[in-house]
Amino acid sequence: MPGPLDRMKAGLAARPAGGSVSPATGLALPPVWDPLIRLTHWSVAVAVLANGLFTKAGGALHVGLGWAVLALLVLRFGWGLLGPIEARFSAFPPAPRAALAHLHGLARRHPVREHPSHNPAGAMMVYALWGGLLVICLTGLWLTDARSPMQIAADQAAVLSGDWSALAQTAAAGETGASGEIKKAVKTVHELMANLILIFAAEHVAGVAVESRALGRNLVRPMLWQRRTKRGPEA
Amino acid sequence: MRLPTPDAERRHTAVLAAVVLLQAVAVLFFVGDAASDILHDGLGPETLFEGFIAFALSSGVAAGGWQLRRALETQRAQARALEVARGALAEVIEAQFSRWGLTPAERDVALFALKGLDVAEIAELRSAAAGTVRAQMARVYAKSGVSGRAQFAALFVEDLLG
Repeated sequence: MPGPLDRMKAGLAARPAGGSVSPATGLALPPVWDPLIRLTHWSVAVAVLANGLFTKAGGALHVGLGWAVLALLVLRFGWGLLGPIEARFSAFPPAPRAALAHLHGLARRHPVREHPSHNPAGAMMVYALWGGLLVICLTGLWLTDARSPMQIAADQAAVLSGDWSALAQTAAAGETGASGEIKKAVKTVHELMANLILIFAAEHVAGVAVESRALGRNLVRPMLWQRRTKRGPEA
Repeated sequence: MRLPTPDAERRHTAVLAAVVLLQAVAVLFFVGDAASDILHDGLGPETLFEGFIAFALSSGVAAGGWQLRRALETQRAQARALEVARGALAEVIEAQFSRWGLTPAERDVALFALKGLDVAEIAELRSAAAGTVRAQMARVYAKSGVSGRAQFAALFVEDLLG
C-alpha cells in the first residue's frame, strides 16, 4: 500500500507547475460499470466461450450453461429497466444512424467524445449480442424439449448405468417426419447463430480496442475493477 | 493518514451483485424444473411448495437488485459531495494564499504542510534542503499571522466547520 508520501509524489507529477492548489482531477472520468453489469458481462462471456468451443452439445453442462445465460439475460433486461442510469436501455437506445455516423467518424479519425453509457456503435453491438444470445437460448430450449439440465443429467446418469430407455425416448421424440425437418432447421439456426455470436464477440473486442485508442483511455478497465488510475493523489 | 476509504462499500456492492446473479440463475433452474414436473405429473401438493420457493427466490432477486441500486446511488452521491467539497476547499485555500501574497514556492510548501507532511518529507518532494523549507514555512506563518503549523491548519478547518 502506498504511503502518503508516494501518493503526494504521484499528485505532484500530475499537477501543473507553479503552486496551483487545485486537486489534479482534470476532466471527471465516467464511472466504472456497476458490479452487476461487470459480473453478468464476464459470466456470459465465459459461458459463451465454453459452450461455443468446449462443452458437448446437448450435454447437461452445455444446457446448464445455456440456462444460466438465459437467466443472466433476463436479469440484465430487468436491470436495464430498473438499474442505475447508465445501465438503462434509455441511456443507449438503438440508433443505427448514429452508430454509422460514429463509425464513420472513427474511420476518418475525427476526435471522439465521451458517452455516459455505450457509444452508439457499441450500443448496436450490445443489442446484436443480446438478440443473438436470445435466439441461441430459445432454439436450444426447443432442441432439448425444454428439459432442464437436471433432467438431462439424470437421463445421462441412467444411460451410463445401463438403462437405455431414456435414450430410446429421445430418439423416438425427434428425427422422424415433419417435426424432424423442423428440428433440423432449428438446429441449423442454433449452430449458425452460435458461430455468428463468436464473430460478434470478436468484433466487439476489436471495437473496444479501436474506441480505446480513439479516446486515449483503456475501456477494458471500467469493466474489470473500480480503481481509477488516471487520478491524482486520491486516485 | 486518510479517512476510511469507500473500498468496503465497493466490496459490499460487489458481493450483493454476485448474490443477486446467483439467485437469478437459481430461480430459472428451479422454475424450469418445477414447470417440467407440473407438465409431466400434473398439479400436485408439491406444486404449492414449489410455487412458494420460486416466489421466495424471486423476491430475493428483486430485493437484492433494489438494495444494489440504492447502494450504488448512495456511493455516487457521496463521491460527488466529496468532489465538490474538495474543489471548494481548494478554491478557499487558493484564494487565501493569494491574499497573503505567497510566492509559488511558499504555496507549494504551505500546501504540503496542510496535507500533514513534515519538513524532511517536503524537502524530499521539492528536492530542497530542509533548512530552505523551514525558512519558507516560517515566512508562510509570518504572512498568515499564525504562530505555527497547528494554528495554520486550523485556519482552514475553521473555514470548513463554519
